[in-house]
Amino acid sequence: MIFKKKNNTAAINEFNQEIAGNSLTKDAWRRLRKNKMAVISLVVVIIYILLAVLAPILPIYPYDEIILDHQHLPPSFTKNAGELLMEKRLADLYTQAWRQGNLELTEEEDDMLWEWIDSNEVNKVWDYMYEKGNAMVAEGSYTLSSYEQRRIDSLEEDIRTELQITLKDVWYRADSGSERVKLTSLDTDEILAAYAQLVNISAEDQKTQYMKEIEQQVLREIKERTPDLSDEEYEILLNQEFNDMSESRLNTLIRSNVLVKLNNAIRSVGLRNLKDAAEDGTMEFPLEEEISISETISATIKASKVHERQYYLGTDYQGRDMLSRIIYGGQVSIAIGFVGTITSVLIGIILGALAGYLGGKVDYIIMRIVDIMYGLPYMLLVIIAMAIFGRNILNLFFALAIISWLTVSRMVRGQIMSLKNQEFIEAARSMGAPTRRIIFKHLVPNSLSVIIVFSTLRIPSFIMTESFLSFLGLGVQAPFASWGSLVGDGVTGMTLYPWKLFFPALVMTIFLFAMNFLGDGLRDAFDPQSKNQL
Amino acid sequence: MSEKEIKKPLLQVRDLKQHFPIEAGFIMKKQVGAVRAVDGISFDVNEGETLGIVGESGCGKSTTIRSISQLYTPTSGSVVYNGLDLIKAKREELLDARKNMQMIFQDPYASLDPRMTVRTIIAEPLEIYKKRRMLEPQMSKKDIEDRVEELMERVGLNRAFKNRYPHEFSGGQRQRIGIARALALNPKIILADEPVSALDVSIQSQILNLLHDLQEELGLTYLFIAHDLAVIEYISTRVAVMYLGKIMELSRSSDLYKNPLHPYTKALLSAAPIPDPVIERKRQRIILTGDVPSPNVERVGCYFYDRCPYKMEKCKTNIPPMKKVDEHHEVACWLYE
Amino acid sequence: METNETRKTLLEVKDLRTYFKTDAGVVKAVDGISFKLSQGETLGIVGESGSGKSVTNLSIMRLIQSPPGKIVGGEILFEGDDILKVPESELRSIRGNKISMIFQDPMTSLNPFLKISTQMVETILLHQDMSKKEALKKSIDMLKLVGIPAAEERIHSYPHQFSGGMRQRVMIAMALSCEAKILIADEPTTALDVTIQAQILELIQELAQKLDTAVILITHDLGVVAGLCDTVCVMYAGKIVEKANTDELYARPSHPYTDGLIKSVPRLDKAQNGKLFSIEGQPPNVIDLPPCCPFHPRCSRKMEICTKQYPPVVDLGKGHEVACWLYAENKENSTDE
Repeated sequence: MIFKKKNNTAAINEFNQEIAGNSLTKDAWRRLRKNKMAVISLVVVIIYILLAVLAPILPIYPYDEIILDHQHLPPSFTKNAGELLMEKRLADLYTQAWRQGNLELTEEEDDMLWEWIDSNEVNKVWDYMYEKGNAMVAEGSYTLSSYEQRRIDSLEEDIRTELQITLKDVWYRADSGSERVKLTSLDTDEILAAYAQLVNISAEDQKTQYMKEIEQQVLREIKERTPDLSDEEYEILLNQEFNDMSESRLNTLIRSNVLVKLNNAIRSVGLRNLKDAAEDGTMEFPLEEEISISETISATIKASKVHERQYYLGTDYQGRDMLSRIIYGGQVSIAIGFVGTITSVLIGIILGALAGYLGGKVDYIIMRIVDIMYGLPYMLLVIIAMAIFGRNILNLFFALAIISWLTVSRMVRGQIMSLKNQEFIEAARSMGAPTRRIIFKHLVPNSLSVIIVFSTLRIPSFIMTESFLSFLGLGVQAPFASWGSLVGDGVTGMTLYPWKLFFPALVMTIFLFAMNFLGDGLRDAFDPQSKNQL
Repeated sequence: MSEKEIKKPLLQVRDLKQHFPIEAGFIMKKQVGAVRAVDGISFDVNEGETLGIVGESGCGKSTTIRSISQLYTPTSGSVVYNGLDLIKAKREELLDARKNMQMIFQDPYASLDPRMTVRTIIAEPLEIYKKRRMLEPQMSKKDIEDRVEELMERVGLNRAFKNRYPHEFSGGQRQRIGIARALALNPKIILADEPVSALDVSIQSQILNLLHDLQEELGLTYLFIAHDLAVIEYISTRVAVMYLGKIMELSRSSDLYKNPLHPYTKALLSAAPIPDPVIERKRQRIILTGDVPSPNVERVGCYFYDRCPYKMEKCKTNIPPMKKVDEHHEVACWLYE
Repeated sequence: METNETRKTLLEVKDLRTYFKTDAGVVKAVDGISFKLSQGETLGIVGESGSGKSVTNLSIMRLIQSPPGKIVGGEILFEGDDILKVPESELRSIRGNKISMIFQDPMTSLNPFLKISTQMVETILLHQDMSKKEALKKSIDMLKLVGIPAAEERIHSYPHQFSGGMRQRVMIAMALSCEAKILIADEPTTALDVTIQAQILELIQELAQKLDTAVILITHDLGVVAGLCDTVCVMYAGKIVEKANTDELYARPSHPYTDGLIKSVPRLDKAQNGKLFSIEGQPPNVIDLPPCCPFHPRCSRKMEICTKQYPPVVDLGKGHEVACWLYAENKENSTDE
C-alpha cells in the first residue's frame, strides 16, 4: 500500500505554490518548441520521413517504370502526358516547317529565332514556334501539309488508344458449369493443357520445345560459369546437370516457362480486345475488370491509357516519373543519412567512451588509430571500398559508416573525459559500480544531448557524401535512385530539361536546410547557457 | 565523549602515501616528478567517533579520503579496515568492505547524476550490490522501493519527490539526497568530503545536525573533512590538522582550540573569523606570510618551515616526527622535543 | 560610528529593483532595497546564495545583462547623480574609475593572455591622463602597496604565474589604481584559504583607511563581516531584512532570520555540545513570490499577518532598521505560540 503513491500530491512549496515536476529532457523540449525555425524544420523533416516511409502505398507511379514515349516531359499540373506530347509534336512540326521555309515569319522573328538557336536556347524556339504556329493555323495564314496532318493524326490515335495493362489474376474454368479457379493453383500439366488449348499446339509438342529451351538455358549458365571449354565437354557437363536435376526442379522450370508464355499470350489478346474498345470509345479508362480470353481462360486486367498519365514534376530521360523517383530517391538518401549516422554514432560512442573512461593505453591506442584514419583521404577510401566490394547500397552504408565514426569517437571521448572526474562518477565508483554501468548508466546518458545534436548535424553531411558519390556515379545504381544520382542525371542536358536538375536539388536543399536548423535548435535547447537563462 | 575513545579502531591508516606522477615526453612517457598530495600519514579512526581532518586547499585532505576509499590506488602504506588491508585486498573483499564504507561529497550539484531521478540515485548502491548478489538479505524490487522511501524520510525529504530530478532541489536538499545514498547500504563508516562547505550558512547547520543525529541513531563512524575549523570543532571527536600532505597535529577537538601546539594550527585558528565584532576586534592575529609551497618537491625538513614564524635551524633539515604530548594530543614539531 | 553620519554621503541606493525574466516567471532578484554609503565607510551586505546581494552590486555598476535582467525601478545616486540615468559614455568614467570592483574568482577576472603590466597600465591610461611610463611606475607602486614582493619584476609576469592570494592582491591593486572612491568587493575571499583570507581582509581594511575609500563588502560569511564592516545589511530573497551598525547587529539581532543566522554558525570560541541552532526549511525560490514575508515559512515566530503582507521597515533607533512584523506597531495578531 505504501508504494504506488500519487507523486503529485505534495508538490507544493512553502508558499502554497504548486511546483511542476520537470526533467532536463522536458525542459529541452520546451525550449525547442519556442524556436520557430526549429519547429518548422522538425515538421519538414517529419513530412520527408513520412513520405519516404509511405512511398510504396502512395498513389504514385512506380519509380522504375520506363515509358520511352514519355522522355523528358516537362512538369505540368494541368496537362497530361498526351497533351504535352501533342504540344511537342506541333512545336516540332512548326519548327521544321519554318526551317524548310514552308512557314514564313518576319525578318525580325527569324533573327530572334536564329539568335536563340545560336545561344543554344532551343526551348525558347519551340515555345515560340508552338504559340506562333497555332496562331497562324487559326487565322489561316499557314495550313498544315498532308504529311504533317498525318503525323498529328497518328499521334492522336496513339494517345486515344495506347494502353498500359497489368495482369492481376488469371482464372481457369474447365467447363461452363464448374467453378473458376486461379491458374497458378493448377499443376504443370493442367497449365500446359490450358495453354495448348489457347494457342492450338499439342501439349506434347510444347513440352519437347520447353525441354529444348531449358537445355539452352542451362547450357548458357554453364558456359558463363566455366568458359573456354570444348563442345564435347559442354555436352558432358550438360548431361551431368540434367541427371542431377530432380523431377520437381525440372517441373518448376517448365512451369515457370509456360506461365511466362501464357501470360504474354493473354496480355496480347487482352490488349487487342481493349484497344478495340478504346477506339470505339465503348469502355471507360482506367479500368480494372475480368475479361474472357478464351472459353476456358479469363483474366482480371488493370488497364489505363498510357498518355493520360500526369507528371507533376516531369519525367527523366527514360520517361520515368520524376515525382516518384524523387520520393524513392529520398527514401534511399534519408536511409543512408540515418543508418549511417546511427552506425557511426554507435561505433563512436563505444570506442570514444572506452578511450575516454579507461584512459591510459586503451585511450592511446584508440586515439592513434583515429589519428591515422583521419590522415587518410576518406573520399578515396570510400571510393576504393566501393570499387572492391561492389556498388550497392549496403556497401555504401558500410563504407560511409566505417570512416565516419572518427569524429564521433573524438567528441564522445572529450565529453566523457570532462565528465569522468565529476563527483557523481566518483560516487558511483565508490559504491563499487562496474565500468560498464558507469559508462552506460552515467557517462553516456549525460553526453547524450551533445551526441543527439551532433548526430542531427551529421545526417546532412552523410546525405551530401552519398549524393556526391552518386553524382560521381559511384553510389546508387539505376534503376534505384537517390537525390545525388538524380542530380547527377539532371546535370546532363540541364539547359534543355532544367526540371530534371531543379526538383531533386530543391528537395534535397530543403531537407538539408531543415536538418541543419533542427540541429541548431536542438543545440540551443540542450545547452541553455548559450541562450537567455538566469 | 570520553567513553567513545575506549572503543577499538575501525580504520587504521599507516604511512599512507599518494603521489601523482608528473609525466613528460611524447611517446616515451617519462616520470619527471610527483605531486606529493599525501606524503606519509598515519591515524586511527575509532568506532563511533568522528575524526575530523582540517587543512587548507591543496593540503591533501580530499586525496586522503579518496585513497582510503580506493578511488585512487595509493603509492604506499596501508589502509586497514576491520583487519583487511584494502590496498592489497582482492576485488570481492574490497567490494565487501566498500559496502561498509560510503562517501558523501562536497559539491551537491556535481555529486548527483543530473539524468537520474532521486529514486534511482538513492537506490543505485542497492542495485549495484543486488546485481553482484552481495546484498544480505536479497532485496526485491519492492524492498528497494520501501528502503528508498524510508531513507528519504530519514534524511528529511518528502517521499513525494521521489521521481524528481536533482536540479529541482536546492543545495541542502541535494546534500540530503547524497546522504541518503550513502546510508542505503547500512555502512559502518562514512567518509565525508567537505559535505557542508558548499552550503549556505542556514543550511549548513541543518546538515550538521542531521549528520549528528544519524551518528547517534545508527552508531556511525565519520571521517569528516572540512576547511572550516569551527565546523570541524563542532562535529569531531578528534581533529587532525593537515598541511602539505602531512599531519601536523592530532588531538581531541576540545583541546585543539584551547591549547593549540603547532605553529600552523595556531595561525589557522587565529585566522578564522569569529562572528562577533567585539571579540574580533580584540583578537591578535598571527598572519602567515606567503602561500602554500608546491607539493611537487621532496622535502628534507619540516613541511611548514617556509612559513613558520618560529622556525629553527634544526627544522630545515630534519622532519619532525609525531610526538605524543599527552594521552590524546600528538604534534609534529621540533618545539616540543 | 556617529562620525559617519556627519561625513559626506557618497552613494545612495533608493528602492532599487532588478528583475530577471526567465521562462519560469519573473525573478525579483533585487526587490526594493535602499541604503547609504558614506565616504570611508565599510558596508557589509550579507546574504545566502540567491538573496540578491551580487545582483545589487552589479546593478550599481549597471552591469546587468539585459535581457534577461532589467533594472525596473529605483535610483542609485553617486555623488548626487543618478547612475541609472547617465549615458553609457559617462558611465565608463565612473566604472573602474570612481567605483571599482573585485570579484570572487581572481583568475577569471584577469586576462590570462596578457601580462599584469599590460593590464594594469591599460586600466590606468583608460581613466587617467598619464604617460605610459608614469602609468607603469604607478602600477608598480600599487603592487608594492598591496604587498607583492619584488613588484618591479613580478609586474611582467602573466596571471597564471601568481597564486590565488597574489592574484587577488593584483586585482585589488588594479581596482585601487585609479583612486576609486568606492571599492565593491564581491565575495573577495570565498575562493581563498583561511590564512590567505586573513591576509586579504587585513589588506582591504588597511588600504581603505589609507586611501579613504568606501568599501561595499559582499559576503555570506558572518565572521568576515564582523571583523571588517562598520554597517551591515542582511539580505533575504531580494530584500534587506535588517540593517544596523555591526556592533548593534551582533549584540541585538532583531530579525528572526539574522538571529537564526548568527546562532546557526558553529563557533570556535564557544564549545558547543549537542545540537546546533538551525533555521528549518530551504531558501525560497524567488520566482513569482506571493506578497508576504518571504521568510515566514522558515520563521519560528511567524504570525498570521506574515503570510499576507510584506512587513514595513521599522527603525529601532540608532539607525537599526528591521523589516519584521514583530516590531511593527499596527500588527493585528499576536504570535501563535
